[in-house]
Amino acid sequence: MLQHVNVSIDGAIIRAVRGASVLDTAIEYGICIPHLCHVPNLSDIGACRLCIVERVVNGRSKITASCTLTVEEGMVVLTSTDKVRRLRHNVAELLVTQAPNSRAIQDIAVRCGVTKVRYAFRNDNCVLCGRCVRVCTEVWRARAIGFVGRGKERHVDYPFGVRPPSCKMCDNCVQICPMTITPCDGPMKTGEERLCGNCESQLMIAEHTPSACTWCRLGEGFSCGRYAGKRAS
Amino acid sequence: MPRLNGYRELEHLRAQLLKDREATKTTVMVCGGTGCQASQSPAVIDAMNRELSRQAPGPSVRLCVTGCHGFCEQGPVMIIEPGNIFYCRVSPEDAFEIVSQTVMKGKIVERLLYLDPISGRRARTESEIPFYRAQDRRVLSQNRMVDPCSIEDYIATGGYSALVKAIRSIKPKDVAKEITASGLRGRGGGGFPTGRKWSECREAPGDEKYVICNADEGDPGAYMDRCVLEGNPHLVLEGMMIGAWGVGANKGHIYVRNEYPLAVKHSRIAVEQARSFGLLGNNILGSSFSFDVNIARGGGAFVCGESTALMASLEGKVGEPRPKDVHAVVDGLYHKPTVLNNVETWANVPAIINQGSAWFASKGTPGSKGTKILALTGRIRNTGLVEVPMGTSIRTVVFDIGGGPVNGNGVKAVQIGGPSGGCLPATKFDLPLDYDVLSEAGSMIGSGGMVVMDEESCMVDVARYFLAFLQDESCGKCVPCRIGVDRMLEIVTDITAGRGKPEHIDLLEDLADTVAQTSLCGLGKTAPNPVLTTLRYFRPEYEAHIHDKKCRAGVCKALITYSIDANKCTGCGVCLEGCVYGAVTGKKKQPHVIDPRLCQKCGICRSECKFGAVQVN
Repeated sequence: MLQHVNVSIDGAIIRAVRGASVLDTAIEYGICIPHLCHVPNLSDIGACRLCIVERVVNGRSKITASCTLTVEEGMVVLTSTDKVRRLRHNVAELLVTQAPNSRAIQDIAVRCGVTKVRYAFRNDNCVLCGRCVRVCTEVWRARAIGFVGRGKERHVDYPFGVRPPSCKMCDNCVQICPMTITPCDGPMKTGEERLCGNCESQLMIAEHTPSACTWCRLGEGFSCGRYAGKRAS
Repeated sequence: MPRLNGYRELEHLRAQLLKDREATKTTVMVCGGTGCQASQSPAVIDAMNRELSRQAPGPSVRLCVTGCHGFCEQGPVMIIEPGNIFYCRVSPEDAFEIVSQTVMKGKIVERLLYLDPISGRRARTESEIPFYRAQDRRVLSQNRMVDPCSIEDYIATGGYSALVKAIRSIKPKDVAKEITASGLRGRGGGGFPTGRKWSECREAPGDEKYVICNADEGDPGAYMDRCVLEGNPHLVLEGMMIGAWGVGANKGHIYVRNEYPLAVKHSRIAVEQARSFGLLGNNILGSSFSFDVNIARGGGAFVCGESTALMASLEGKVGEPRPKDVHAVVDGLYHKPTVLNNVETWANVPAIINQGSAWFASKGTPGSKGTKILALTGRIRNTGLVEVPMGTSIRTVVFDIGGGPVNGNGVKAVQIGGPSGGCLPATKFDLPLDYDVLSEAGSMIGSGGMVVMDEESCMVDVARYFLAFLQDESCGKCVPCRIGVDRMLEIVTDITAGRGKPEHIDLLEDLADTVAQTSLCGLGKTAPNPVLTTLRYFRPEYEAHIHDKKCRAGVCKALITYSIDANKCTGCGVCLEGCVYGAVTGKKKQPHVIDPRLCQKCGICRSECKFGAVQVN
């Protein structure tokens, strides 16, 4: 069986590892696709929908999340068409209005072109990206936290609300949470939420694992702050 | 009952059953479906049983409790053979007269016949009733004469002959070809060609394959699958067996909502009976084909009607959808190739195998073949279960079968396809029921729920209702569906509460498009449809809510005021008595007045007033 397949991402023909996701392939090649719930070496659930791309099949394009899309021979993917940018902007806007207190989410939103929002801020503390749940389940095999409830009631909790013995207080769930990075001037007060747009992405894991996030300088695909600044000058 | 070990034994049993039934001179068929049960058909059945055993004991009269007959508005309904006499709105007190007159003497009890409100005549048989006349009952045809708890009834009416035909004379790979040739498309909503699904699953690698029957019907106002599974579970089972034979599956699942107790009960009985007859299990009818069915009960989540969420739920996981980039026909239940079809789709299969794909394809439009069951509800005269050929116009369904609107109001819109479908205005009523035509118009046939709305329905409020439903039923996994639908609900609620801003319409459209395109599963992808279609066809209503702060239908409480027309008011005082908030004042025989500060807009005064003096502005 072939170990590699050829895919076209934004016109570049990339020799990708069979079984890899389009998101991993693109990032490895240097095409940046913004993402939030994707963490290297954890399974992908396709929850945040920031990593959406346009997949072209027989001349018809379909929007799909790239983290859960596995590369196939001859696959054609576009990561930064006008349509994708517009949709990504709208999704980022939904996220940042839900949880304006996260520097990481603010940063992603700003990089997706959200400069002002059209909804009222909501000051939730969790956007249910599921990073903590997956790191607990898949890396530490502790299954100490999980999703509870459905729809608006969905939240992360211990089984039946009690911390199980399998939780070793490793703090990984806290480390990996996009909400735990303190915003510049401390938490925003209710009613004073804003988008400053000056933050760099500070997702902790990002600095050590280059494929994790938005530090790269190739972020043209979603008008990365640094890149956009250079282009403007 | 001994196991049937061969095709001949089944035929022999069928002949035996028919012979046994020759002694039965009269059959009384009473609807025991959920609709009629709600209008006390169990009491009618008890009373009939009592009267029959008193007045006509012996095998000559048989009482058969059947599934849904469709005309739920007139329930409980009863058909008496011979003569095909159709009685409706039967009460337990009528049992004596029915048995003594109709059963014993063959005389008709006039007052129990259906009264046609238009012609003013009584209809003797089903075929004389306009509700049934325009229908073409194929899937539902057996519902009226088969006891769902009796496999003998089903076999006696030719049941399981399609299975025999398939196993004996059709190669598995030709089953999918036959279905493809028939043009059958999924009846659950998507309208995916069933034959293509089967052949893709057949060709998918792997020895272990599954067939699933999706009976997790959760659309508000829809109960097609419920009635098919309740009324004729063996038909669905037979369809599943043929499907399993075609794709090479040995295991099937029926995923039925726990809120359908009768459907759960009847499908369980059907599976037990089929097992004891050797129609399920190893070496069915002496052939090499083995197949068994498991009944799984759903916990009431609407999202579990979505195929991948349903499979997750079947696997014992949380009922959440997963990305569908690889189809279930390759990677489905337990990551094995799986065919998942809706109840109605399975129920169509036996007839296609028995009578051929050409027979099936003779009805319908070029793109949509066969018949479709619709659940007709809302502000309409004849609510009930309707089966019409594809291509029938919406007008025919609403006016000819449905009998038009109640209270003489004009029909404003029809909501087709449940929360995922859309509202079509009266100007679009000439559109045929066709998957492609309706989806072009922004709606969809969906599972077949059809809610008729009249001028007293506010379309913005309808959109709000469906958004609230979807927001409540969203699993919450992905951002666009969880937050996006919630934001849409927030905006639409603002509009209905008089806080709407002009830019809200554009924002709604942009957001609806985002949710539709970026959501993970079918629930989210179709969630904006109610908003998109109402915006497309009823934009002036949104604008009136936003700019003029008026709700012309008189539904949105923040935008209406109640007042009393002094010219019409006779001062009878009924409204004054009725008002729980003390908002109505006035002296006897003098026009009354509503105090807008106290009025809570409950509408009691308006419904109480016999002179139409209470007005809504």
